[in-house]
Amino acid sequence: MSKRKVKNRLQLGALHIFYILLCFLSLVPILYALQLSFSGSGGALSSGLSILPQDFTLDNYRRIITEKPFLRWFSNSAVLAALTMVIAIGFAVVAAYAFSRYRFRGRTGILKVLLLLNAFPQILSMFALFRLLKEMHMLDTKLGLVIIYAGSMCIFSIWNMKGYFDTIPTEIEEASKIDGASDFQLLWKIVMPLALPAIIVTAVMVLIFVWNEYLFSTTFLLNENSYTLAGGLYQLQSNDYSRSWSMFAAAAILVSLPVLVIFFCIQKYMVSGLTAGGVKG
Amino acid sequence: MKQRRKLTPYLYSTPAFILIALVIVFPILYTAYISLTNMNLFHWADYEIIGLENYVRALTKVDSGFLSALLVTLLWTVLNMVIQVVAAYFIALGLNREGLKGRRIYKTLLMFPWAMPAYVSILLWRVGIYNTEFGLLNKILVEIGLSKVNFLSTNVPAFLSCMVLNLWMALPFMIMMIDGALQSIDRSYYESAELDGAGFWVKNIHITIPALKGIIAPSVIMTTFTTFKQFDIVYLLTMQKGAYSGATLQTVITYAHQNAFVSNNYGLSSAVSIIIFFLIMVFSVFTNRGVKEESNE
Repeated sequence: MSKRKVKNRLQLGALHIFYILLCFLSLVPILYALQLSFSGSGGALSSGLSILPQDFTLDNYRRIITEKPFLRWFSNSAVLAALTMVIAIGFAVVAAYAFSRYRFRGRTGILKVLLLLNAFPQILSMFALFRLLKEMHMLDTKLGLVIIYAGSMCIFSIWNMKGYFDTIPTEIEEASKIDGASDFQLLWKIVMPLALPAIIVTAVMVLIFVWNEYLFSTTFLLNENSYTLAGGLYQLQSNDYSRSWSMFAAAAILVSLPVLVIFFCIQKYMVSGLTAGGVKG
Repeated sequence: MKQRRKLTPYLYSTPAFILIALVIVFPILYTAYISLTNMNLFHWADYEIIGLENYVRALTKVDSGFLSALLVTLLWTVLNMVIQVVAAYFIALGLNREGLKGRRIYKTLLMFPWAMPAYVSILLWRVGIYNTEFGLLNKILVEIGLSKVNFLSTNVPAFLSCMVLNLWMALPFMIMMIDGALQSIDRSYYESAELDGAGFWVKNIHITIPALKGIIAPSVIMTTFTTFKQFDIVYLLTMQKGAYSGATLQTVITYAHQNAFVSNNYGLSSAVSIIIFFLIMVFSVFTNRGVKEESNE
């Protein structure tokens, strides 16, 4: 072996050690939660450091599902996410189509203003939204929250899908127009099927946004029956977590699992979607 | 008929616009209006217009706390961004080294913190890592014979704890972006540079970094905004409802939130919100122009 080859081997070996350590470090919080979720009740307080769970048990998972209204939180979150997705995507698809295919007065201006509006941090509008919902008697209702979520994801969805619509050539539409297809038919039968990947990715990102949102759902849903997963988890960790900490770990794993699966399915598309529209906050 | 076609795009956008008007535009206008009043806990219904007093108070009175929050936020943004970009650059560079096997596995594993729901990660870190009784860090400290540390009870350790967590959550995205950009650089540049005898640093400074700049600028700008607006980490780690950790760390966003929902000082909170919005707008117009000029070159 030449000297150069030895040096190359050593460098690669060092890199491997570095990346194994880095991966381990970045997974530690998750692995720790995983370990605790499978441990018996003493696991959290014991001072020992071990990677494998002490006295392996599924008890925490059983308890979170049977003793806490976890399934209700889960279905609340799922309903909110699904409704938001339908409204946000439904509204945004037609708007994105209009911005992509028509040239009308104020088009570029409106697009820019939308981006600027999107820069306003959502948290700062919470007080105004609180009063708005109160006036509309929609505090503590799913519909109120769905409207807020759909509105906050609307601009992002329009920009994201408009970008993709722009890349679809208009020739097919023009041909169908000559054949007498209406605008609605064009959108429904030609553009939507062609843009399906972009629509699905945008829809999934709306889903993940609602699933991961905690501040509005814990501020606006005050009734325990309407708690989402965020509200439930929040309550679990704030009420004497000495007893429920391993249960909280189990719940955290259950909440994250669907998002992790979806994330790794669409990861490839997410990066291009995120940066396509330029500055988004 | 012609008239109708002209109206079509507006018709299509109407549902989305109504939604945006209700959820985005109305709150901004309402916040701007409240910022001119003295609305607070004592003047809930009978508030009156007091002009720019709230703005004056936020920007000139040191005891209002806004200026120090702004300073903390700027420090937070700069520190986070510098560490993030530099660390992600070297991590991505290593991942692209020739002959490194298993890079796909490394990349997938490194993505996990990004994929986790943010609030779940933060709560896990709060109890699982930083907590004095259950936290891993304190368990390690005890194991090696040191005494326990309450990481979130004073400002400087709390700031650093928030920063470590933010890096953990945000690095995967930056690594992905830089990794993608690195793969788009033409290999032949390096080959000719190697023939000229260029070393590691020379190649980085003269080929890689200039080629990367334009490609990663949008994602760096985007991350700068999210870092500046970061609320969840500071809020969930140090100041949940009824569970203050002891640190009095405030960023501009938590400052506005605290004034609205804890001390019920709606006028001041709204004025601060408008100032933040103004800062973000100026910054985004500024950076948009910069990016455009760079890509025109």
